[in-house]
Amino acid sequence: MAALLLRSTTGGIRCLTKGPAFISTTTTTTISSRLGFSRLTKLRRSYSTTISQDLLNKKVQVYQSTSNDPYLNLSIEHHLLQHSHPDSYVLFLYINDPCVVIGRNQNPWLEVNLPALQETEDIKLVRRRSGGGTVFHDHGNVNWSVICPPAVFDRDRHAEMVVRALKDLGVTTAKVNERHDIVIAGDGRGNGKDVFKVSGSAYKLTRLRSLHHGTCLLNSPQLKNIGKFLRSPGEPYIKARGVESVRSPIRNVDVDTQEFNKRVVDEFLAMYEEQFGEDVTVERVGEDLKDMSNIRKGMDELTSIPWIYGQTPQFTFSSRPTEDDPRERPPLDLDVQSDFNIEFTLRHGEIQTANVSGLKYEGPATDKDFYDGMISKALAKGSDDESAVKLYEIKDWAAVLKSATAGQGLKVSDSSLNSLSEWLNKVFPGSHFR
Amino acid sequence: MKNMFLRQSSRAVGRQELWRLSRRGLSRLAPTATATTTPSTTSSATRPLAPNSRSSALAQQPSTRRQFHATRELQVVKPVLLADIGEGIVECEVIQWFVEPGARVEEFSPLCEVQSDKASVEITSRFAGVVKKLYYDAGEMAKVGKPFVDIDIEGDPENKEAEALTPPEPVSTPEGQQAIKGEAISTSTPQAIAPELKQAFIEAPWAQETPAPSHSPVTKQTGKHASLATPAVRHLAKDLNVDITEITGTGKDGRVLKEDVYKFVQVKASASIPSPSGATPTTPGVSAAAAAASAFSSPAATASGPQTETTVPLTRTQEMMFKSMTRSLTIPHFLYADEVDFTSLVELRARLNKVLSKSGLPEGEVKKLSYLPFVIKAVSMALYKYPVLNARVDLDSNSNGKPSLIMRSQHNIGVAMDTPSGLLVPVVKNVGSLNILSIAAELARLQSLAVTGKLSPQDMSGGTITVSNIGSIGGTYLSPVIVEKEVAILGIGRMRTVPAFSTVPGEEDKILRRQICNFSWSADHRVIDGATMARAADVVRSIVEEPDVMVMHLR
Repeated sequence: MAALLLRSTTGGIRCLTKGPAFISTTTTTTISSRLGFSRLTKLRRSYSTTISQDLLNKKVQVYQSTSNDPYLNLSIEHHLLQHSHPDSYVLFLYINDPCVVIGRNQNPWLEVNLPALQETEDIKLVRRRSGGGTVFHDHGNVNWSVICPPAVFDRDRHAEMVVRALKDLGVTTAKVNERHDIVIAGDGRGNGKDVFKVSGSAYKLTRLRSLHHGTCLLNSPQLKNIGKFLRSPGEPYIKARGVESVRSPIRNVDVDTQEFNKRVVDEFLAMYEEQFGEDVTVERVGEDLKDMSNIRKGMDELTSIPWIYGQTPQFTFSSRPTEDDPRERPPLDLDVQSDFNIEFTLRHGEIQTANVSGLKYEGPATDKDFYDGMISKALAKGSDDESAVKLYEIKDWAAVLKSATAGQGLKVSDSSLNSLSEWLNKVFPGSHFR
Repeated sequence: MKNMFLRQSSRAVGRQELWRLSRRGLSRLAPTATATTTPSTTSSATRPLAPNSRSSALAQQPSTRRQFHATRELQVVKPVLLADIGEGIVECEVIQWFVEPGARVEEFSPLCEVQSDKASVEITSRFAGVVKKLYYDAGEMAKVGKPFVDIDIEGDPENKEAEALTPPEPVSTPEGQQAIKGEAISTSTPQAIAPELKQAFIEAPWAQETPAPSHSPVTKQTGKHASLATPAVRHLAKDLNVDITEITGTGKDGRVLKEDVYKFVQVKASASIPSPSGATPTTPGVSAAAAAASAFSSPAATASGPQTETTVPLTRTQEMMFKSMTRSLTIPHFLYADEVDFTSLVELRARLNKVLSKSGLPEGEVKKLSYLPFVIKAVSMALYKYPVLNARVDLDSNSNGKPSLIMRSQHNIGVAMDTPSGLLVPVVKNVGSLNILSIAAELARLQSLAVTGKLSPQDMSGGTITVSNIGSIGGTYLSPVIVEKEVAILGIGRMRTVPAFSTVPGEEDKILRRQICNFSWSADHRVIDGATMARAADVVRSIVEEPDVMVMHLR
């Protein structure tokens, strides 16, 4: 039973059928190529419960995920990167449940508003394997991923492809900027001043393959909140190595996700199908892939706390300007001495060195420096020690501070302890991961 | 902790190596190509130059590393530059290392992952070798175009050339040195070896030459790199109108020395045609014994040549034996050996054979009995009493993971046979139901099939215990290896005549001739204890020593 889907050659049709775009039997579609001629291509669109080596060896492969699990989708992407044939071209499209995705080498305490994430129950925190900055995904955002041989890799090539798809859908002002992001013009004026980012890109380059993936904000219901999630309360105090996100104003493209998917697939096929003719496969994949051991392993890695939090490069946290980080700090409203200062250096999410001073103690405040030193030492056990303070394990800083001072014969004043813990709990909340 | 994420990617890279790779494609310097595309020019520029780069033979090679000493491996620590990863990026952060100093890397194994703005790049090694030094820690910024890791490169193809020069060196050097010493005394003659040696037998030992073939490797090597010579020597050669490439060098690494040139000239000038040894130097101090030895040894006297290795793949039979014995390694063996008095059996056999030869059996029937059928039958009879020896061990029975014994009703006794194609163990099936004659007939059938290599899988399978009669070839005691899926094996040694004291009461001082044979049992000590083995072995022994006992058990 074949149904014929005809599509017009130029954009302009914005309201199209929603619902599943793909039928699981043989479908014939007309694909409009940019050169202006239409080709009738028979594509086998089917649902796969596993990705066989057979599929991975095809020259042109298109996969669409039916799952919204970000960890699964990223693992599928990684599996495709590692196992697809070195000469093949792979397109993978997926939509994730609401989540904040940080880059391979980023710092979640710096990039993400972790307390906000903890409050909203169902937003996940993900660290992806490619570089780049922090983004927010939800059901209005489509992720597209292209894997190709390094010889043809170009940072703009596939971004241009997505721009073509957008133009097909009527987004006439879409273009690729110099940071290889996709931007659209603002409210109709198009004078270049008010550009809004709709898609960011990141890359992963291995010896045999190059992966370029990006987001595309089509119709996110959470657009207004995205900024909130990506502004961390610890940001003024944390200086990190690693890549920092570059902020851009964002906007929805305002296009249906299924339509977008269709267009991107068409553009991708138009780019490569001519070369490879029959050696093409279009598949839908989903939850069943969790049974594949590689993908399972990938997911286990991505969901592990050491990966999400522990893969953070070294960073410093200080409440006062330091040599390394001379920025002005916003004033702290804590019940502490005037010379209060707290400084940590952290590696892999563990406190390596700590320097605390200026807490208020109860009882005879004879040797405050000594007490401060004790707390500092207690906090900075170092990563060799099993009891090193791991940021992502801290449920409540009050408990940590109390145990740091326990048995030392000193007692931090309650109000001092509480106000400090409250602040630290905002900056370094415990593991958010569910 | 940072090492926790060592590699899915490295395994994947290894797998990808199996696919066809186009190195040409990788070496193209696209601006955004992967980080491994280091142009070769930048790397070779940092290679250290060897001292002697004048030799024309090696001059064609870009590397001029040469060895002039006997170290096996080339110790070149190469600083590897961080390749351009495109986009005008001058530095990038090292996210994690996949190797540490001391780690062995192959070509294409992943070294580290770096990140620059949006791209995370996996950097793989261009060389095989050992990582010596990491220039950056994880988290530091690595500069593009500067070294980021030091690798001690091993097994370079150029290196093999240099290595190829070394084997003859142990041969040539002592001789070379001695040649220098013996120069004054040497009476180098152009004749072939044999007359030389004969002469040497009578004349001064140091006039001898060593056998020629030891020099032929030298000849070949130095012929290739014959221009290994100092300028003075070359000058001399030119003066004397001699082509230096024709001279076999006897110096280090096959260098041509002055004396080689002189000798060569003498050789050329003389009437008789030299064998390749003609230009070789003499070796003082080679004794007459060596001469005698070389007289015994074949002309291709590899006795004094360098160690050569030739790969010979295993034959089918050897392969099977390899696999089977490797599996048998898991069985803990214990050896139980005993002496068995064959005297009575010898007499019985003699009598029976007389009967057989007289009885005029039709063709194809057994005319003569050996001892083996008797022993096999005795073993079978013992197995009725101790059936555990006929069992096999099952490690994972009934899915409860515990090992168990599988008892077997039939006695299928394997008999080890030495055939032209190697060791084969065909099986005599159901010995319990066979008599001596039929056992002998079956043995004969299996033997003829084995010799012609026509044993069927049927014949080879299903064994429950094995008997190995190595005594037919030789040997007294042996420690046989239990066959897989069995728990015991019997090895029979050679029968020999020994004097023994009589056991007849009243005649204990009398010395008799006895035929003694040694039975060596090996058993699986996981399921067979020493006592069981001893008792079973005793049963066998008693039957063999008193074969008339079999009459009692006739059915």
